[in-house]
Amino acid sequence: MYQSLDLFETAAAMAEHAGRRQAVVARNIANADTPGFSAASIPSFSEIYRADHTSDMRLTRPGHMSLEAVMKPAATTGPQAGQASPDGNTVSIEDEMLNAVAISREHNRALTIYRHTMTVLRTTLGQT
Amino acid sequence: MSDFSEAMSVASSGMKAQANRLRHVSENIANVDTPGYRRKTIAFQEAFADSQRTGAVETGKVRLDRAELTRIYDPGNPLSDTSGHYNGSNVNMLIEIADAREAQRSYQANLKMFDQVRQMSSALMDLLRR
Repeated sequence: MYQSLDLFETAAAMAEHAGRRQAVVARNIANADTPGFSAASIPSFSEIYRADHTSDMRLTRPGHMSLEAVMKPAATTGPQAGQASPDGNTVSIEDEMLNAVAISREHNRALTIYRHTMTVLRTTLGQT
Repeated sequence: MSDFSEAMSVASSGMKAQANRLRHVSENIANVDTPGYRRKTIAFQEAFADSQRTGAVETGKVRLDRAELTRIYDPGNPLSDTSGHYNGSNVNMLIEIADAREAQRSYQANLKMFDQVRQMSSALMDLLRR
């Protein structure tokens, strides 16, 4: 029974990650006309998760592997695909909109996983 | 949760800044025929709270465009000098309209962002509902 709690944790981390990324996107869009502003970005959940879990570690105790790295990524102002405009701004509204939609879908997915896990638990307990 | 409220406040600061810009654009357009009027421009800058970056945006000081005023030939005008010219405004309608359109688009993007964050947080709240 307790194995599925890991699923809860992952779904919650995914939702929180989506929220954090969305905040970064909102910041970029708000500053789309600020001279000299460079767009920040957070790598996607799957990228961070994969980078964090490449080693073949198995969770034997709850404290062994934490989702800390996944839940607290830092926003980086990496090189952007778009070109900087004459005032030195590197935000591309189109790209940010695309990111925003992808993030909101990811958030939805995480919540759906969470809800479904809850349903499974409830069914196990015999409370439909 | 705090990410959501932060994102919402940042998006609303963006909307406020764009609305402010739009207000100055409309001031410029209204004064396109005012003699000697210089067009106003405002720059955007990042907002700081207690010397910390908040990610929000705000509008800076109003500056006057230092471009040459247009010389209008109208000998009958009381403002005209000995050569029959007087100074008009340096507002270029084409630039103002383009600026207004850009401000509108940015405003829409911010509004969309706000709406999306709101939807995400309400979906999160829906988890509590049974």
